[in-house]
Amino acid sequence: MKKSKAKQNNIVPYFMSIALVAITTFMGGLIREAIEPTNIVIFYLLIVVMTAVWWGRYPAIMTSLLSVLAFDYFLVPPYLTFAVSDVQYVFTFIGLLAVGLVVSALASKTRQQAMDALGREEQTAILYRLSKDLAASDSLEAVLHTIRMNVGGIFDCRVAVFLPADHGIKPGSFDPDFPIDEHENTIAAWVFGNGKPAGWGTDTLPASKAHYLPLNTSQGVFGVLGVFFKDDKAGLDPGEYNLLSALASQAAVAVQRAKLTEISRQMEIIRERERLQTALLNSISHDLRTPLVTIMGALSSLLQDFSSIDAETRKELLETAYDESGHLNQLVGNLLDMTRVEAGALKMKTKPCELRDVIGASLHLLKDKLEKRDIQMHIPRVLPEILLDFTLMMRVFVNLIDNAIKYSAPDTPIEITVKPLENKVKIEVKDNGFGIPEEDLVRIFDKFYRAVKPRQITGTGLGLSICKGIIEAHGGQIFAKNNPDKGTTFTVILPLEMKEA
Amino acid sequence: MIGSCSQKFPYYLLLDGGGGELLRNVHDRAKKMRILIVDDEKTIRRFLKATLVSHGYDVFEAANGAEALKYAVSSHPDVIILDLGLPDMDGVDITRQIRERSKTPIIILSVREDESDKIAALDAGADDYLTKPFHAGEMLARIRAVMRRLLPQSEKSLFTVGKLSIDLAQHSVEVNGHPVHLTPTEYALLKVLVLNAGKIMTHGQILKEIWDKTEDVEEALHLLRVTVSNLRNKIEPDPDRPAYILTEPCVGYRLCTDM
Repeated sequence: MKKSKAKQNNIVPYFMSIALVAITTFMGGLIREAIEPTNIVIFYLLIVVMTAVWWGRYPAIMTSLLSVLAFDYFLVPPYLTFAVSDVQYVFTFIGLLAVGLVVSALASKTRQQAMDALGREEQTAILYRLSKDLAASDSLEAVLHTIRMNVGGIFDCRVAVFLPADHGIKPGSFDPDFPIDEHENTIAAWVFGNGKPAGWGTDTLPASKAHYLPLNTSQGVFGVLGVFFKDDKAGLDPGEYNLLSALASQAAVAVQRAKLTEISRQMEIIRERERLQTALLNSISHDLRTPLVTIMGALSSLLQDFSSIDAETRKELLETAYDESGHLNQLVGNLLDMTRVEAGALKMKTKPCELRDVIGASLHLLKDKLEKRDIQMHIPRVLPEILLDFTLMMRVFVNLIDNAIKYSAPDTPIEITVKPLENKVKIEVKDNGFGIPEEDLVRIFDKFYRAVKPRQITGTGLGLSICKGIIEAHGGQIFAKNNPDKGTTFTVILPLEMKEA
Repeated sequence: MIGSCSQKFPYYLLLDGGGGELLRNVHDRAKKMRILIVDDEKTIRRFLKATLVSHGYDVFEAANGAEALKYAVSSHPDVIILDLGLPDMDGVDITRQIRERSKTPIIILSVREDESDKIAALDAGADDYLTKPFHAGEMLARIRAVMRRLLPQSEKSLFTVGKLSIDLAQHSVEVNGHPVHLTPTEYALLKVLVLNAGKIMTHGQILKEIWDKTEDVEEALHLLRVTVSNLRNKIEPDPDRPAYILTEPCVGYRLCTDM
C-alpha cells in the first residue's frame, strides 16, 4: 500500500510508448509497399489502446500524437517528409488522432476503475482482517493491542490509543517509541473533546509529531487513535486517509463494545455480590435471631418470675440459654472464618505442621460434644510435615467432625483415616449417619446451602463452604461421597509440597 | 473504681519470702484473694465481678490501661485479668510494664483474631489466656491454676495427672505404674511442662528453656514438634488424641492438670 502510488509519475511508460511507436513504424515500413498505408493505421490504434490500458491516459495521448507524426513521416508518400501527396490522408490523420484520444480516454478510465477496484479489495481485506482480529479480542486490553498491531502493520507507523480517564484522557495502550508527552496528550485531549482529527497532516495543530483521529461511534467519542510516522513522510494521500478513517471507525466500535462488556461484567459482579450480601444478611439475621430468641426468652422469664419458677425449671432455662449462646458463638466464628477465607490466600499463615496434631487438637476442641462417642483413628505414626495454617485447618476438621456428630446417631462410630499418597495426603472423615441425597453431594459446599434440614439440627450452611475455601487456599481438594452401606465420607486431599504464596 | 475490699484480711505478697506463716496466710485467706479485672466493656466487668465475688474473691475494676497500671500496684491484686483490646494502651505493653514491677499472675482475655498479640503477651510474661467468649468455669479453673503455681516448688516435686506421674526429684516418669524411659530432651521438655503445669508454654519459652538458642528457629521448632510427638507416643494413652500434653494452636503447649 505504502509504495504502490509512487510508480504513477514514472517516465518509463513514455519511453515505452515511444518504443512501441518506433517498432510499429519499423514494421509498417517493411510492408508499406505491399498494402494500403491506411490499413497500417489499425496497428497504430492497437498500440494506443495498449498504452492506454497499461499506462494510462497521458502516455496514450502521446502515443496517438507520435503515431500520427510517424505515420505521416515514414509511411505516407512522399516518405521522410511531413508533406502529404493525397488529401485523403489528412482525414486519416484526423481520424487516427481522434480515435486515439477517445480510446485513450476510455481505456484509462477503465484502468482507473480496475485499479480502484483493486484498491477497494485490498482495503476490504484489511478491514476484514482487523474486524476478525477485533472479534477475537475478548478484553479491552486485547482490543487495544489488536488495533495497535493492525494499524501499525498497515501504515508502518507507531500507534497509540488514548482512552478517557478521570481528568481528560490518557494513553491506554501505545507502542514504545510513540512520542507520549504533555503536548501530544493535549492534542489528543482536544481531538477527544471535539471529535475531529488534529495534529500532523491536518490544519489543526499541524506542528505536533503525530496525527490524531477520534474513535467515533454513534454513541459518542470513545477514545483517540494516534499515528506517528517515523520517517519524513509528507502526508497521507486521500486513499490512505480513507483507509485510516475506516480503521478508526472500526476500532471505535470495538472499543465501545469492549467497554460495554467490561461495564456489564462489573455490573454482574456487583449484582452477584449484592445477591450474596442479601443471602448473607437474611441468613445472618435469621441465624442470629433464632438463638437470641431463646436466650432472651429464657433470661427474661427468669428475671421476671425468678422466685415462682422451681429450681429444676430455672436450671433448664439457663441451660437452654447457655446452649444457644454456644450456637451464636459458633455462627460468629463461622462468619469470621468466611471473611478470612474470602480475603484470599494472602491471609494464611502457613507453617510446617503435623497432621496428627491438627486432628488431635480439633478433637480436643470438640471434647464436650464428643463425650463418649466412638472415634476410630487410623493415622500412620510417621507422616511428613505439611505447610498448613494450623488454626484454619483445625476449622476444617472441627467442621467435618462436628457435621459427622450432628448427622449421625450417637451410638455409631466416626472414623478418621489419614493415608499418605504420592506427593499428597488423603484425610477421610467417615460417619455412619443419614447420608446426603446424591444430587446434593456437590452443592453442599455452596454458601448457605444445607442438604438435609432437620429442624433439630442447627447450622448456618457456611461450615462446608468455609472448609472448601480453606482447603482450596491450601491447594487441596475436598469432596463428599456416600458410603456403600451407610453414612457419608468426606475426603480432603492436601498436597505435601505446598507452593509458597 | 476500687471495689469494696474488706480490710479484715491483710495483704501478703505471695512470692515475698516464704515459710509457714505465708502458707498459713495463703490458706487462711484462700477464699478472699484479690483479683483485678481490666476490661473496657462494662458488661464484661459486671459479669466477671458477679462470678468472682460469688466465688469469694475480692474484685477491683479498671476500664483502661492507665487505671490498670495504677491498680496493679495500689490494690495489690493476687491475679490480674487483662483484656488485650484496651482503648488507650497496648495490652502487651501493659503486661510488660506490670512484669517489670511484680510477678502477679496475669490472665489475658483475647478474641480469636488476636493470635500474635496473645503470643506476644504470653512471651512478655502473661501466665495464661482465655479466648472470648469463655465459660465461667474455665476462667475459675485458670485462676486456680495460676494460683497453684505460686506454691513453693518443693510441694510440686511429685506431679500426677490421670495415669501419668512424674517425680522431678527422682527424675522418674511412670504411666499406669510402669516406668517409662525418656530421652534427655523428652525429659527436659516434660519437666518444663510439669514445672508450669496448667500454664501455656509458648514455643518461644520452651525453646529458650530446653535448647536455649534463638538462631534457626524453624529447625528448633521442627525438633520441638518431633519431641512432643515422641513424648506423646510414650506417655499418652492414645497419642492420636492427646490428653496430657495439649496443643495450643499456633501458641504452644500446656500440660493438663485435671482430668
